[in-house]
Amino acid sequence: MRRLLYACLPLVAALAPLSAAAGDGNAPAKTVRAGAVTDLAVTVYRSPYGVSESLDLDQLGGFALVTETRTVSIPAGESRIRFEGVADGIQPASAIITGLPTGVLEKNHDAQVLSPSALVKATVGRSVWLVRTDRKTGKETDIQGTLVSDSEGVVFQSAAGEIEALRCSGLPEAFHFDPATDAPATPTLSALVRSPTPATATIRLSYLALGFDWMANYVATISPDGSSIDLGAWVTLGNSNSVSFPDAHAQVVAGRLNRESEQVEPVDPGTEILAQCWPRGSTSDSPDEPHIVGARPYGFDSVLVTASRKAMAPMPMADMALQEVMVTGARAQQEQLGDLKLYRVPWRTSVTSRQIKQVRMLDQQAIPVKLIYHADLSADDELESTPLRKILRTRNDRAHHLGLPLPAGRVATFYEREGVPLLVNEAPLRDVAVDEEFEIDVGEAPDVRINAETADRAVDPKKLKRLRLSSRVVVRSSEVDEVHVIQVTNARSASAFVELSVLVPDGATIVEADHVPGTRNGHPTFSLTVPAEGTALIQFRTQEIEDRPEDP
Amino acid sequence: MLHINMRVQGFAIGLLWSLGAAAQPAHAAQAVATAPTAPAASDRQDLSVTIYADDLALVQDHRTIDLTGGKQRVEFQNVSAQIRAETVSLAAKDALTIVEQNFDFDLLTPAKLMEKAVGHEVTIVRTSPGTGAETREKALVLATNGGVVLKIGDHIEVLRDDGMPARVIFDKVPDNLRAHPTLSVTVNGARSGPVPATLSYLTPGLGWRADYVALFDEATAKIDVQGWITLTNSSGTTYDNAKTLLVAGSPNVSGGATDGGGRPYMRQPRPTLQQAGTESGSRERLGDYYLYPLAERTTIANLQTKQVSFLDVHGVPAEHGYEFRNQWLGTSNTPLSARTVYSFTTSSHAGLGDQLPAGILRFYMRDKRGDPQFIGESRIDHTPMGSKLSLSTGDAFDVKVQSTVEKRSRLGYDHWQSDMRYVVSNALPKPVTVSVLQAGLWGDTTIKSESQKSSRRSAEEAEWVVTVPANGSVTLTASFQTRF
Repeated sequence: MRRLLYACLPLVAALAPLSAAAGDGNAPAKTVRAGAVTDLAVTVYRSPYGVSESLDLDQLGGFALVTETRTVSIPAGESRIRFEGVADGIQPASAIITGLPTGVLEKNHDAQVLSPSALVKATVGRSVWLVRTDRKTGKETDIQGTLVSDSEGVVFQSAAGEIEALRCSGLPEAFHFDPATDAPATPTLSALVRSPTPATATIRLSYLALGFDWMANYVATISPDGSSIDLGAWVTLGNSNSVSFPDAHAQVVAGRLNRESEQVEPVDPGTEILAQCWPRGSTSDSPDEPHIVGARPYGFDSVLVTASRKAMAPMPMADMALQEVMVTGARAQQEQLGDLKLYRVPWRTSVTSRQIKQVRMLDQQAIPVKLIYHADLSADDELESTPLRKILRTRNDRAHHLGLPLPAGRVATFYEREGVPLLVNEAPLRDVAVDEEFEIDVGEAPDVRINAETADRAVDPKKLKRLRLSSRVVVRSSEVDEVHVIQVTNARSASAFVELSVLVPDGATIVEADHVPGTRNGHPTFSLTVPAEGTALIQFRTQEIEDRPEDP
Repeated sequence: MLHINMRVQGFAIGLLWSLGAAAQPAHAAQAVATAPTAPAASDRQDLSVTIYADDLALVQDHRTIDLTGGKQRVEFQNVSAQIRAETVSLAAKDALTIVEQNFDFDLLTPAKLMEKAVGHEVTIVRTSPGTGAETREKALVLATNGGVVLKIGDHIEVLRDDGMPARVIFDKVPDNLRAHPTLSVTVNGARSGPVPATLSYLTPGLGWRADYVALFDEATAKIDVQGWITLTNSSGTTYDNAKTLLVAGSPNVSGGATDGGGRPYMRQPRPTLQQAGTESGSRERLGDYYLYPLAERTTIANLQTKQVSFLDVHGVPAEHGYEFRNQWLGTSNTPLSARTVYSFTTSSHAGLGDQLPAGILRFYMRDKRGDPQFIGESRIDHTPMGSKLSLSTGDAFDVKVQSTVEKRSRLGYDHWQSDMRYVVSNALPKPVTVSVLQAGLWGDTTIKSESQKSSRRSAEEAEWVVTVPANGSVTLTASFQTRF
């Protein structure tokens, strides 16, 4: 008897308003599950919003292209192919399905998932069992009735017509539900297809998914004499999805891609079932300030949607302890992909859920570098004993033992002291193409400092001009002469190569200087060597024409 | 044993309920359950949904109403949970006139149930924690402000003041409390019996856009483009077996905040539509809007993203180029990447041959192993047929421009000269052509000298088309005379 009734249950489910019968309605689509994944490729792209300091599994800003190969058997007629185990950060609109003998009628992504609140919602207006347990004896009493409402608490009407609210009595109460919803456990991607004959096909599904990121992590070890560095790099990639990608072809892509945002697909925000009852005051309460709760419009709060990804990817044990770092040997291989760089992990690897993985990218030895004490300053700056920045400048070419693309990331610089590396600085690095000059920031130099001041400012009265623009407006044009002095002090036991780029006011020029300035990036730049435990003085004169309206 | 028996009985009842409901629609059964006064339910016959591109839809719900003749209330279940009640209209030819329309938001909650019971009698059931014995008492609800005050017999009590279990039983649900926001219309029927009626309303929560997949073949410089219509439903309701029509374009809805358009991380906005087309094509139109009817009826489930194909073109010629736009007096200490740009036309001749509704175009390209890889995406606006599109997919790793203000000289009052240098570098093993644009010219700027002939694209911008040899660089210089 019982089995027979269970056999009838799909009929009940088919009548539920949630059931998604599609097509012409005459012959409902059969649901078939796409077979297990037989081949898998994951390409991870960097966050388009810049490289972060480190990969934090709780906020990965990049994304990935996931390509899966599966086998599916479709019956004749209309069928719905369901894909299980896709990444929870999937961007459904980007899904591409190829390899089907017929075209895809529809692709659907259903965000409505099974949850306690979804179950209650689907049961409103339907029959349900209320089960009460006697705390003393453990005896259960079942009451049959109807769930009348699920707004801010659950209202139940027994078959006898008594109306009560759930969990207001202080007694242990629970519901036993009829299967009123066929909502799946996770958001589901499906494709609706129509085939004249049954067929078995090997299909490929590819989609973009959030919750991935990667960066390049460089380690630069400075040689004892400071004239060269050894540069090594890791590709560090992270997956914060709750889905793992075992045995996959893994790639990362370097370069900034255009990404358009405001891609808001609906997600099931889910709600807690509040067992809220009428006010629960007692005579021992202190009086409350009366307050008025504003009316709240019904409907989905669109604000909830933005916080969607986290809600979609429930990670019950999202705990730092679960972050796992895997380091693998050998090296990723680089190839050109349009105007981007693709790095391929040359063996199959697993991109596991909540994992940070590292693959070696490059190892270059004895790269000649120039150590420069550098500052960008304005001619008008008044600086008092300001440390300069230390940079290592080199060129990305074969002569400098490089000549390969360096994707953006972070560089940690080390000195070696008695065989033990010592961290000096950590700084970001931009995308560096082959043959480009680039710099590695090594931090501040406390021993090499500058003082800067304006020593003199003069206006030549003979060169004063008055310009009458109209009867009312007169402009006074004067030539301003300034003398600036920069003092560089070096407290090191070695000489220091110093480079000072001076930003002069618009239209001003350096007319006289005791060190001849060169030009770097359009700015006058003084380059000089300051001897060990020595001082250098730079004096220069700027000239500028200042236009000022005269007071009438 | 008793437990199992009851459960089986429960399923039997559930089944009978459902079978009973099969004879009349399920929502009619719901109406009876939630509204004890049983107004006439309406029975859905047909449903059509017209979706505009900007999160707005027109729903036309064809139903049968059982008229009693004279004044009666009709309830509509399964309408959008975000229905804009002020846009509802009910039409039934000559059969009825509308007295009033209500959209009831007064939801049935436990607290509301108690609030509405003030001044009425309820039953209090106390369960003894020791013996489990139940005692029943009648109580009058006096007040529900921060606690429930009851009058039982001749004394006053606060409900569950002692924290002991006590159930409250109500004998009816107040008339105007409902499980869901419910639309009800009071009508005056001209006759009795079932009549067909059409309920139409506007609702947000349904929207659509287009998504395009373009596979670029570098060897032949051709793209294959697939277009998908992406429908999203977050209106809180499922639209079963609906005739669906999509409208490219959005009617003006004044007053509302319709523009959700923030486009973050666009370093500079760049025009994508280079030339608007003038071809008309065969797509259905309504006024100035293009219509995209879905070929088959479909069920748009709540919280669903649905995609239906509307475009599939192969082998369209596409041009791959580079573009760098410098702001006025833009100078940088490091070379900056040029943008990778793909251009193609939507013309019927050597193009996509269709109008493109607004959406996002994603570019793919095959890697060395032959697998398609994503290379960037770009938004497009509603694009007429015959237009020339130029879409940027991102930054080129190997093609960069370093722009420098070499010198700024004051030639006189209101008269300046700016000497610019642009170093265009190419780390690719093949020559490339880069369009270098200098913006911010404000019309009366003149170019006094330049190392290569420029063309003035507009009063605002000058363009140099620079060919850079493989693994090489080209230095471009120009001197501008301005009033600023």
